[in-house]
Amino acid sequence: MSTQPNGTADAPIEVSSAPTVVGINFGNSYASISVLTKEGSADCIANEDGERQIACAVAFLGEEMYIGNQAKPQLVKNSHNAILGFRNLLGKKFSELSFEKPTASAPVIQHPEQPDVPAYKVQVLQPAPSPIPTTASNTPAASKVATPRSEPTPAERVLSVSEVTSIFLRSLVQSAEDFLGKKVQGAVISVPTWFDDAQRAALTQAAEDAGIHVLQLLEDAGAAAVTTTTGLTPQELSADRTQLVVDLGASSLELSLLAIREGLAFSLATLSDPTVGGNAIDDKLIKFFAKEFTKKTKTPLTVAPATETQDKRAEAKLRLAVEHTKRTLSASPGAATCSVESLKDGLDFTGTITRLRFDMEVRSVYDKVYARVKELVEKAGLDLYDVDEIVYVGGSASLPGLDETFAQGFAETVVTPFTAGTVVGGGVGDPTTIISRGCALQARLVATLAEGTEEEREVKGAFASGSKWTQAKATSKTIGMLFPEENAEGPLGGQWIPTVLRDTVVPARRTSRFDVDLGEGEGEKKVGFEVWEVKEGIKVDKIKPPKFEDEEDAQADEDEEEEEEEIEVKEKTVEKESLLTALSFVVKEAKQVKGRWTTKVEVQSIIDDTGSLEITAWEVGPSGKGEKTVVVVSSA
Amino acid sequence: MASVRELPVVPPPLPASWTTPESSGKSISPLVERRLLPAGTAYLAHVKRAVHKLTFDEHDK
Ligand SMILES: Nc1ncnc2c1ncn2[C@@H]1O[C@H](COP(=O)(O)OP(=O)(O)OP(=O)(O)O)[C@@H](O)[C@H]1O
Ligand SMILES: [Mg+2]
Repeated sequence: MSTQPNGTADAPIEVSSAPTVVGINFGNSYASISVLTKEGSADCIANEDGERQIACAVAFLGEEMYIGNQAKPQLVKNSHNAILGFRNLLGKKFSELSFEKPTASAPVIQHPEQPDVPAYKVQVLQPAPSPIPTTASNTPAASKVATPRSEPTPAERVLSVSEVTSIFLRSLVQSAEDFLGKKVQGAVISVPTWFDDAQRAALTQAAEDAGIHVLQLLEDAGAAAVTTTTGLTPQELSADRTQLVVDLGASSLELSLLAIREGLAFSLATLSDPTVGGNAIDDKLIKFFAKEFTKKTKTPLTVAPATETQDKRAEAKLRLAVEHTKRTLSASPGAATCSVESLKDGLDFTGTITRLRFDMEVRSVYDKVYARVKELVEKAGLDLYDVDEIVYVGGSASLPGLDETFAQGFAETVVTPFTAGTVVGGGVGDPTTIISRGCALQARLVATLAEGTEEEREVKGAFASGSKWTQAKATSKTIGMLFPEENAEGPLGGQWIPTVLRDTVVPARRTSRFDVDLGEGEGEKKVGFEVWEVKEGIKVDKIKPPKFEDEEDAQADEDEEEEEEEIEVKEKTVEKESLLTALSFVVKEAKQVKGRWTTKVEVQSIIDDTGSLEITAWEVGPSGKGEKTVVVVSSA
Repeated sequence: MASVRELPVVPPPLPASWTTPESSGKSISPLVERRLLPAGTAYLAHVKRAVHKLTFDEHDK
């Protein structure tokens, strides 16, 4: 064993220089936190109640304050002291708010002191003041006994939206600090796409008030993109792809269609719908169970909406209970139960629902999401067949029935976390943790940026809200190589290899390596190709489905309407539009395999920020890289 | 780092009649303005290249 020489300044232990950072998914209904693992991935952690999905709720009962899932039961008997839905009010003036929907929780009021600030008023019990200490000056001569401790006194407490947010965020970070055993130095917090400057500023302020250093506010879709582009790209997916992000939360649906080009992402279109989500699913489900309850007990129960006080209370209980039912349904294909003690008139209730029945009950919600997706893709000028990957975000997107609904319209090759099997067991595709994990990975990236030079500070600034560096230029048509072929099949007249896809941000560089067939002949051999810009589309054919010969089926068909339903068959198309240039060179490193000559080549395409295209090709042989042939297509 | 994609395709031999066409003089279609999501290592690399005014090759080093 070597001994430490005396007088060394080095610490004998390994000090980790990695900053302690977290990623926070801050939804309007639920939040979650992720931390970085030693291996460099991000993991969603459970809080001290064992919850990964933490309800964005703060409730007061007597002297107690409850935060997270523990606050939700207060909605049953103490709803006016339960605060929910505060995230969406951040950065809003009181006068801007609309109060169309009745709320079951603490009402939003105008702050009594701060002008035009939304706040909540709750009833609390204030701890009694400590007994007044006896001193010579304030104690009457007659008595030497301290004032006895009195009962806590009822009081009103007003909390602004910002204060509630601070309390909530502080508790999240506290959970992370308890887990890590270290102070958290920074956080990336997710925000919806539609959060404007005022909302972003209010969130940042609330977090800073809670002692949280905000590294970046990251759009939900951006967080999802980080998670899905970090690590290995699944084999079925290209680094250049079109990704559909379906975020189905509790109170809303948020859709984004992203162009992802070697990790660089931008949105082709977005769409939000505040009428679809887990709450709408709950409505259907609690109605179903209320009916069951009535059937079993002959006790009338009307929910969603409920009018009677008793029914309202029963509805609140059912809403809490179906949370568990839904999670069971998405986790396993079997039936799920819903149990509520003393649902109404002191009667307990236990009901079950199969996944099949559940999917039937909520079909209209799935269909609405699907309709919105079609709208979004159309808005981007694309077809469902152009989508290469679907990413699910948000608790309600965990339901397999939604993915099944989608299956009808997308290409068979589309990759979803359900087809890839990465949803269950906290896999990389888990919709309930994908945002916070992306935020944690992003937090590491931003926290480790240097700030020494002017230029480094400029780079760091590119992650601030509204940075000019997010403005970029992208191509509008796909560019590729066409290798002409004698008697080629199809309209292109050869082998087509796309190199720079449309919607690729410039400057861009793409390099590919492949073998070229040079035929059987001896003598000089050439590699040559044309560079084309193409028009891509989707061809739709309507065909009659093949008839089944099965007798029984034929019988059954006759009973139904005799209507020939045509099915759509889609196919991606590529049409030559503009010849840009061509390139050829004489082969020097050909090798012969089974009578045919081949050679390996590499082709690099670079488009600069003016739109000038440079194509370079070379052979890769046993003696290394061959001579380069370069052609340039200058910008207009 | 420059990532090279290995493609499984093998383009066929050139037709005997093919001669390299002259450059057409055309440029690529006009670029369009987009707003990047300020996220991930690829965005960082994109900004670094722009701020430090580096080519892809220079940035690789
Ligand atoms: N495993 C699951 N299966 C089905 N639904 C689930 C599951 N987990 C959570 N949910 C539901 O997802 C919803 C919460 O989703 P999420 O955490 O994405 O909320 P959010 O982003 O805060 O929502 P929003 O901002 O739309 O109100 C709730 O309705 C919850 O019941
Ligand atoms: Mg959400």
